[in-house]
Amino acid sequence: MIIMEADGTALKWAESSVNKDQRSYQRYDITLNGPLSAGSSRHMVVHTVLTKYLRPYPSHVSQTQKQLVVYEDSHVVPTVHPCRQQQTSVVLPSPSSVESYSRNLKPAAHSDDTITYGPYENIAPYSYDKMLVHYENNRPFLAVTRMERDVEVSHWGVISVEEKINMEHVGASLNGPFSRYDYQQQRGEGASVRSWRTVLPASAADVYYRDDIGNISTSHLRTHVDSVEVELRPRFPLFGGWKTFYTLGYTVPTYEYLYTSGENYILRMRFVDHVFDDSIIDDAYVRIILPEGSRLQEFMLLKLFYDEQRPLLKVRFSTSNASQNVFWSCRDILVKLPYGATRLPDQVHYTYLDTMGRPVVALHKSNLVEQHIAEMEVHYKFDSILLLQEPLLVVAALYLLFLAVVVYVRLDFTISPDPQREGKLRAAGLSAQCRDTQDRRTELYTRWEAAIAKLRATKDAGAFQTSLRNLGAEHRTLTQNMTDLAAKLKAESAAPEILDKVQEIQKLDKQLKEQLQLQGSQLEKLVASKLSKQQYLEQDTVVAKRKEELAARLSSLTFQL
Amino acid sequence: MMTRHVSPVNPAVYPHLSLVLLAIGIFFMAWFFVYPSHIDACILHNTYYEVTSTKFTRDLFKELLISLVAAFFLGFGVLFLALWVGIYV
Repeated sequence: MIIMEADGTALKWAESSVNKDQRSYQRYDITLNGPLSAGSSRHMVVHTVLTKYLRPYPSHVSQTQKQLVVYEDSHVVPTVHPCRQQQTSVVLPSPSSVESYSRNLKPAAHSDDTITYGPYENIAPYSYDKMLVHYENNRPFLAVTRMERDVEVSHWGVISVEEKINMEHVGASLNGPFSRYDYQQQRGEGASVRSWRTVLPASAADVYYRDDIGNISTSHLRTHVDSVEVELRPRFPLFGGWKTFYTLGYTVPTYEYLYTSGENYILRMRFVDHVFDDSIIDDAYVRIILPEGSRLQEFMLLKLFYDEQRPLLKVRFSTSNASQNVFWSCRDILVKLPYGATRLPDQVHYTYLDTMGRPVVALHKSNLVEQHIAEMEVHYKFDSILLLQEPLLVVAALYLLFLAVVVYVRLDFTISPDPQREGKLRAAGLSAQCRDTQDRRTELYTRWEAAIAKLRATKDAGAFQTSLRNLGAEHRTLTQNMTDLAAKLKAESAAPEILDKVQEIQKLDKQLKEQLQLQGSQLEKLVASKLSKQQYLEQDTVVAKRKEELAARLSSLTFQL
Repeated sequence: MMTRHVSPVNPAVYPHLSLVLLAIGIFFMAWFFVYPSHIDACILHNTYYEVTSTKFTRDLFKELLISLVAAFFLGFGVLFLALWVGIYV
């Protein structure tokens, strides 16, 4: 994996294999940004990251032993062109003890944590001179052997990320048994790994760290200004050849990673994220789970992917998809990666409240390092009205349940009908209706009283007559209803006592209505000055008292229904 | 021009929303279940209340309406409850 820069800008290049002097080389042909004229010079940086290049030597160490590794390379870089001057510096992880280093090509010097070879003059193309550095290295030799990263997008405001990680200590294997006692006594940890730190995005929330057994409680979460740091400590320290598996999950808000314009959405997220410093991932499986109903564009996906051999370049790949849309109008996804990866067949993911399942874009890439932490883009289309699908699904389910209840209570499971009981029930139903009607009549009288009060205040006889006509009509309808109900009750011989009460109510109601009419006409006379105030007051007191009595009896009777 | 996607409902109000919607939904559900239930036995024992009904007094339209309202409030309440507890559907 290589990054090339000239004054910070990326350069294009092509890769090929070359065999020279029984050695195989990877040859990179670099295209410069402009012509290099005679006599001028250009500064260029070639950055290579190599994985699994250090060999533990000895390959097995005991629990207390230090870990030694061998770095094998060439003293000089095998260039295609003749090289005038070269210098190689080997920077060790710490000013640690160097067991030995090759000195066959002078000058070679070791100071502190750096071994410097050269400068060498006039080197022929494809030169090779074996270099060996044997030194102590107790850095964590961890490798993620398999990582499954699931990014689940929910348009309700959250993106959930879950990483299932298989981790292995790839340093010198542990020789002999493991003693917990010795491990506790020991001050340094040697080559073993007790914990590591994972850096999550600053907006990460609801972080969980668990494995097949359950939650692993030995973790610490620290929130910084620009990141969230999780210190993960597995259930046991990792020695050479030991493995562990865990799941790390968190959620981030959509507004940080999801962009929208109408029904078009772009998810901009990292292909892989930080696992630990200087991490290597052998196999990364990234699944992007889009909301149900998202439309993908098959065609663009296939076109966009580079072949696996193309290395990481700081070049964003872009393409226009306008013309292809015609053929693939129903499917609409576009994935932009900063580097090549294999696309696996599309999957369907089922989770809560799903019907057709969620479309999943699955990607795979081998041999990833920290420099691969870069953003990818997933373009898709989503109709926001589909957000309502989930609540409506719950609503429909509940409504079906209620409908089942409605049907159930209407089913009759009686083996032999009980006419007496039926009669009682029917009578009870009729009596409830009677009470309802009477309540409505009482409410009508309240309005009647209000009309009288209004006449008293405004002295508007015309308006009073109009409202009286309406009230009278309404009262007639209600009374007719009551009469019908009474007739039905009469036909129902099961409850004679209810019928009596209803008839009594009818009688009292008639009297109450008469009193009200009387009160109204007296007031009209007073307004028309046909009655003296004194006379009116006397009569009104009598009427009011009578009314009160009737209303009290009516309400007590209604209550008994 | 692309804008940042925000949830149609602010995630900060999920707890309140789910509680309020569920409370209203449960009220309507309770009403619905009391309304058409078999309370014949209660009537025969003279413990007959107004909110209940028998097969001679019930109203299908009213039942369907109440249950629809209950289903709507409960459905949305359940959704926001799920979102509140971290099930991002």
